[in-house]
Amino acid sequence: MNIELSDLTRKFGRTTAVDRVTLDAEPGVLGLLGPNGAGKTSLLRMLATVLPPSSGTLRLLGRDPGAPAARKEIRRRLGYLPQNLGYYPSFTVVEFVEYFALLKEVPPHMVPKAVAAAVEKVDLGPKAKAKLRTLSGGMLRRVGIAQAIVNEPELLLFDEPTAGLDPEQRVAFRALIRGLGQTATVVVSTHLVEDVGAACTEVALMSDGRIVFRGTPAELTARGVGHGVGDAPLERGYTAVLAAARSAS
Amino acid sequence: MTATAPLDRAPRARAAAPLARSGRWARVLRLEIRRSTVLWAIPLLAALFFFDTFRTADGFAPIWTVRSSVINTNMIEDFGPFAAGLAAWVGSREGRRRTGDLLTTTVRPAWVRHAAALGGTLFWLLLTFLLAVAALYVDTARQATWGGPPMWPVVVGVVEVTTFAVIGFAAGALVPGRFTAPLAAIATFLLAYVGFHAALQVRPGTPTYALLSPSTSVPLGDVGVFYHVAPDLAIAQVMFMGGICVALAGLLVLAPLFQVSYLRGFFSVAGRVSRWLCAAGVALLVAGVAAAATAFALTGTARLGVSGWDIPALHDAASDQPIPYTPDCAGTSFTVCLHPAFSPYLSSVATALQPVAAEVAGLPGAAVRAEQVTGGYGSVSLQGLRLPGASQVSDIAGTPPVYDFVSDNGLAPLWGTPAIAGGGFWQSGFQQEFLIAFAANPASFSQTAAQQAVITALMVAVGSPAPQFGEDMTNGQPTAGATPAQIAAAAQRFESLSPAARHAWLAANLPALRAGHITLAQLP
Repeated sequence: MNIELSDLTRKFGRTTAVDRVTLDAEPGVLGLLGPNGAGKTSLLRMLATVLPPSSGTLRLLGRDPGAPAARKEIRRRLGYLPQNLGYYPSFTVVEFVEYFALLKEVPPHMVPKAVAAAVEKVDLGPKAKAKLRTLSGGMLRRVGIAQAIVNEPELLLFDEPTAGLDPEQRVAFRALIRGLGQTATVVVSTHLVEDVGAACTEVALMSDGRIVFRGTPAELTARGVGHGVGDAPLERGYTAVLAAARSAS
Repeated sequence: MTATAPLDRAPRARAAAPLARSGRWARVLRLEIRRSTVLWAIPLLAALFFFDTFRTADGFAPIWTVRSSVINTNMIEDFGPFAAGLAAWVGSREGRRRTGDLLTTTVRPAWVRHAAALGGTLFWLLLTFLLAVAALYVDTARQATWGGPPMWPVVVGVVEVTTFAVIGFAAGALVPGRFTAPLAAIATFLLAYVGFHAALQVRPGTPTYALLSPSTSVPLGDVGVFYHVAPDLAIAQVMFMGGICVALAGLLVLAPLFQVSYLRGFFSVAGRVSRWLCAAGVALLVAGVAAAATAFALTGTARLGVSGWDIPALHDAASDQPIPYTPDCAGTSFTVCLHPAFSPYLSSVATALQPVAAEVAGLPGAAVRAEQVTGGYGSVSLQGLRLPGASQVSDIAGTPPVYDFVSDNGLAPLWGTPAIAGGGFWQSGFQQEFLIAFAANPASFSQTAAQQAVITALMVAVGSPAPQFGEDMTNGQPTAGATPAQIAAAAQRFESLSPAARHAWLAANLPALRAGHITLAQLP
């Protein structure tokens, strides 16, 4: 298992952002759905070893990130795209991706090739030498994706990866993560259920810090038959599960 | 975006060798150097250097020690706040640009990123600084006639710029914000300003801790000429500032401890930093504080030596020996000799002294020769105020009488450039000092009214302007109870005498005049 969570909890003062989440994941693409404030980003930050959990157990790539040596090894095999991508405007696309490749300890002799491959994968080849300050929001998002995949991670965490991408780029991104999901565990946190339907092999739905549904997109769609609201079948499944979770609590 | 085949790379066995690690760090450093914010500020630094430091130095005597003093005064005032501000801007980058989460997920610890970012900043700052020093030294080398470029001011300057940058970087990294950089620049400017003024206040017998500030007054003209400048103070300053740098580096290594938003006890938090890193951070912090504290204590023991401040624990007595030299001399009937470092002034000094020397030639105690001697460091401040300490003033002594004049007389304390030395005011200063040594007590702060009148008359007689005398305000009264108008009238009366009559009167009354027993009314 690349991800093993057991009763994982994260509190911020009196607020419980993630509440006793138990989850595991193998290579593939896991969509993480949920309304605003459901705890998706907090869960992703714990998976990214940015936040330590308040309680519960967390194992990533078979290791405990609480131990420094194990955490270092996990990070070497980790790719992360946060919700708000910070960047250095004076760096070029290639330099920014190279910077992260070096910090992720990609062997120096492989860095140019790895950087070029990552930049090509996100279709930023023509903009490779452009300063980041000159790029649009969608292009910056693609730069963020490039830095996340530059080390060929076994665990990839994307927080709202398609925000700001045009429809053509979203389609291409879905194809990319489907490809990545062949060998790595990809967790995609998103509000866009169509991304989940198109790219994810599994989906987890969070509400109030808990996972209230875990299954395939088809199973989520089935939950919406005769229930829920929405234009698409998956949206109806999403709203139906959420409504059920809220009424239960 | 396209799904392409994975990179051809060996699977995850990336046990990074130290060589690979340093190679990666060097490449990160290269990125930081290439995209450094300092590059934008270099034209401004160059302009500041030229209009402030370079032009100031160009107005000083071409004596290596004097010229190099601008490195730790003007140059630091120009570079220091920029170094702190730019480094704070770079240091606060992760906070301002919100890259913290992203960077936390990388393998390399925060200190590696910080070291590279600070290294990139320091690279351009120090390169600009050293190029500016090189320009200053090349200009000095073209004009100086003796000695060589002193290295301690450069070392102190490099450490000082580094310290300002590290202070700024640490402030930016620990308290990131858009106002951190300007605040760091202002704070370091004030720090340098306060240190400068505190250093100016240091006198023999007062606490000497403020000498830790490298910025202080321009040294006296002959420092490092007759005696070596002891490096004691420079060593203490480097130790102090280096200690601050090392302590702040330790603080930066430990920075993740202060940035976590959860606290479940020190050891659980420390676990996120890694034990050895935590230990290294604490060790750096302790070592830095210890070095700075030691330097502080050492500076408290400083005392005035033959050529600057000595620190007994660091002082090498061998450096107190005079530096041998062969003087450059001019003139036949009245020979004027200068230290070779002052050779460009020889003609001006001879031109100034020979007429007044001829005016008093043959009188008892009149000098037959003039020789430059050391003034004794610290005896005369920039304002011409005589202070307690080993001091030497221009005087006539020996048989035959020789006029030993110090490098810094009260009227021309900095010598100025050789071009300035050709000016009438500069030359009359030397004449006045010569005549004070001849007709009055040179060690006294003031001359009597009769002495002033005689000196004025002799100077006017050789075609020089009437000199200015400081008033003796110890009792709130003008000098010796006479008004300037009364002194001027007596001087005019004495000057109107024939040279033979003046000579005869002086021959008869010199001892009484020197003793201060002659009144204005007694002057012919």
